[in-house]
Amino acid sequence: MFRGPKKNVTNTNEQQNKKEPDKVPIPPSQTEFLSKLKETIHSPADLVVKYISETVTITFLDFLIDGKTLNEQILPTLEKVINTSPKVIKESLLIAEVDLVAELNQGILEMLIGAVLIHVEGHSELVIAKISSYQSRGLSAPENESQVIGSQVGFNENIATNISLIRRYITNPNLCNEKFTVGKDTRTSLSVLYIDGIAAEEHVNTVRQRISDLDILDLLDSAVLSELIDDNSISMFPQFLLTERPDRFCDGLLSGKVGIVVNGSSMAILCPYSFIEFFQSREDQNLRWPIATFIRLLRFSAILISIFFTPIYVAALTFHYEVIPQPLLVPLSESRAIVPFPPIVEALVLELIIELLREAGARLPTKVGQTIGIVGGIVLGTAAVQAGITSNILIIIIALCALSSFTTPNYLMGNVIRILRFPVIILAGFWGFLGIMLAFCFIMIHLLRQSSLGAPYMAPIYPPRWKDWSDSFVRLPLPLIRRQSVNSRETHTIQNTNDSFAKEEKVIE
Amino acid sequence: MKSALQISNDQKISSSLFFFVVTAAQIGVGIHGFQRVVVKNAGNDAWISVILASLFAHIVVFIMIRTLALYPSNDLYGIHLDIFGKYFGGILNFTYVLYCTFAFYSVIRNYIEVINTWVFPNLSQSFIAAALLILVIYAFTGGLRVLVGVCFFSFMTGLWILIILFMPLEYAHYNHILPILGNDLKSIFKGAYSMTFTIVGFEIINTLYPFAKEKKKVQKYVHLALLFTLFIYLSVILVSLVYFSEAQIERTLWATLTLFTVIKLPFIERVEIIIICFWMIIILPNLCLFSWAAYRGVKRFKSINETTFIWIFSIFIFFANIPIQTRTEIDQMNNFFAKIAFYIVFIYPFLLYIMASLKSVLRKGGSKE
Repeated sequence: MFRGPKKNVTNTNEQQNKKEPDKVPIPPSQTEFLSKLKETIHSPADLVVKYISETVTITFLDFLIDGKTLNEQILPTLEKVINTSPKVIKESLLIAEVDLVAELNQGILEMLIGAVLIHVEGHSELVIAKISSYQSRGLSAPENESQVIGSQVGFNENIATNISLIRRYITNPNLCNEKFTVGKDTRTSLSVLYIDGIAAEEHVNTVRQRISDLDILDLLDSAVLSELIDDNSISMFPQFLLTERPDRFCDGLLSGKVGIVVNGSSMAILCPYSFIEFFQSREDQNLRWPIATFIRLLRFSAILISIFFTPIYVAALTFHYEVIPQPLLVPLSESRAIVPFPPIVEALVLELIIELLREAGARLPTKVGQTIGIVGGIVLGTAAVQAGITSNILIIIIALCALSSFTTPNYLMGNVIRILRFPVIILAGFWGFLGIMLAFCFIMIHLLRQSSLGAPYMAPIYPPRWKDWSDSFVRLPLPLIRRQSVNSRETHTIQNTNDSFAKEEKVIE
Repeated sequence: MKSALQISNDQKISSSLFFFVVTAAQIGVGIHGFQRVVVKNAGNDAWISVILASLFAHIVVFIMIRTLALYPSNDLYGIHLDIFGKYFGGILNFTYVLYCTFAFYSVIRNYIEVINTWVFPNLSQSFIAAALLILVIYAFTGGLRVLVGVCFFSFMTGLWILIILFMPLEYAHYNHILPILGNDLKSIFKGAYSMTFTIVGFEIINTLYPFAKEKKKVQKYVHLALLFTLFIYLSVILVSLVYFSEAQIERTLWATLTLFTVIKLPFIERVEIIIICFWMIIILPNLCLFSWAAYRGVKRFKSINETTFIWIFSIFIFFANIPIQTRTEIDQMNNFFAKIAFYIVFIYPFLLYIMASLKSVLRKGGSKE
């Protein structure tokens, strides 16, 4: 809705033809070919040119290709075939991906991804042997979304590894993978993954449409992509999930969501995602249901505590003393007695300190980060109380709020919950409980207005889909939970199973 | 029928949501203090008046839906234009728009009064009005889907107040209810009549009906909603009757709020302050729905953008807040509104039903020839 006029399509090969209409033919002469090649890519230091024989030349970019394959497969074969056409070379090479191109720019593009170009004197065709190798870190445990029970593997920055991880989880011929290239300067490749027959066709189409409508220069991370293609980029709330857990990603695919994996980013995108799902963890499925339900309820009350507890303190102490029962009022006023600031200033300063601590902890190296916790938590906290700048009780409340905000299983949503507190505190400081209610209503309306890929953001709460409530605030035993939940349901599967679902399904979209 | 509405499928709302819409539309500011007027008329039989009023509302709803069902897809405004023609129908539409605006205004004015009396004596009226109107504008520009969502959440988040409502029963004197039917029938009916201001709100189906997905099911949900609100009103009046004495109720402006003052929870005192602030979410659906109903009517005169309409409407309401200041004036306004509402909501639907069915009989006759 906030997207500008639709821009031109940026899809792999078509787009190239559009952007570079002057197709450069490949010069048959060897010297001319090499000079043209060097001119186009500005003869970088890592360009390797090797003359195999008088007629055959190979060029590639060092470090981008797999040297072992080059030495063991390509070089011996090329030495055997002399004075032949590119076609023969292509057929005699024992490599999975070999191609012929008749156009220089396309060949160069392939070389930049990691291919060996084989030029034969007198032919205006190139053989492309794709033997790219990719340096990436090994698989490691997900650091931001840790989980006690469940798999301990996270995505890494290599799209191939990530997709192979996903395919290991879901062995299904219906798992579709569509490739896109985005960004004029970076040509970042990304894959749209979904399970045909489970994911709703309209959602897949919307994702396709939005990605191909992108007209951007560079794309370095999936978080940027998710902000570019979500429904309302102005809103504070994330509408797509970013996850580094393959099991959470696959769980999403299996419940009918569309996933996007971006090369170079260890976070994959899942959409459409509803508000309530951001507070659910994969681990909830792995625990016994009463425990999982308890933990979920704990998490949802943590949101409310985190957003509204400090504001309630501020409002009660500024305007509504009469709300506090007398036994509580005495210790409260005792601890407040020496504090020179009004509650709103006191609360804002302390909240700001907590935010500073968190930010410092996130930016510092892990070893130093622990010290920050001790310095901030113990030294600052006790010192502030003893110096009479804040009250004891507020320290408890602020700590409680901070703690609650960290229970959100999603980092992006956790941030929102934390930052949301500040305007509410200010409103509470000016207009008491009325201000808090204003904020509450405003947040409620805002959430109701949002959508994710056109599907309602507050589902299944509103529009009420009662059958999905078994896996929302609570998690009932697994047999009671319908697999395909919330916003992603293919219509025809529903018609097959149960007609009444279809009626209830799109209550209001 | 040129006046018929074209509503695409994705604009429609599920019939089950009518339950929440009607409940949210009915419960508003009236419930704060309806005990006084009802008890003044019906004495300790006020609860019978409440049941009577609700019964009458059921009948009216039945007639309203019968009228609306005569047309395949049309709201009250379209029916007016169809039956009475462009000019007289237009006048009737205008009256209904005025009624909706008046309802909106009376809700917002009463709420501001309560806030000023109970929570913030010094908070400027204009500020509260502006804050509420901004919320309404924000919800309204989101479209009908968001408005109905507000109703739904208002219902769901407001349920906890029901539990608190029964706490004063600790101090109840149940013999206050006796003798049953000690008052004559006329005063009980008069009591039922004075329920008008509190019970209206369900007339929203006049405009919302064409937006229902399965029109046949609407009736069931609206009646269910009326039963639910009857339950709430009945609980409130019974708790008030057994807690207060008759004379006390007649002297208490906001008996429901006074009821809440006696509740002491271990961690909160003076629950009524929290409840009054919380009431914002309960009146928000009222405001949204009445402004929406007015918008549907204005659209019949002049095709106008939603955003433009709600801004003009809000600015009008904002300035209309200034002249009425004292409690007496507000009380007079409420009585006047109740009188109008009684005719528009309770009497007029019967007349309209007769006209509409005559018209449909004539039309059928005409087409046969």
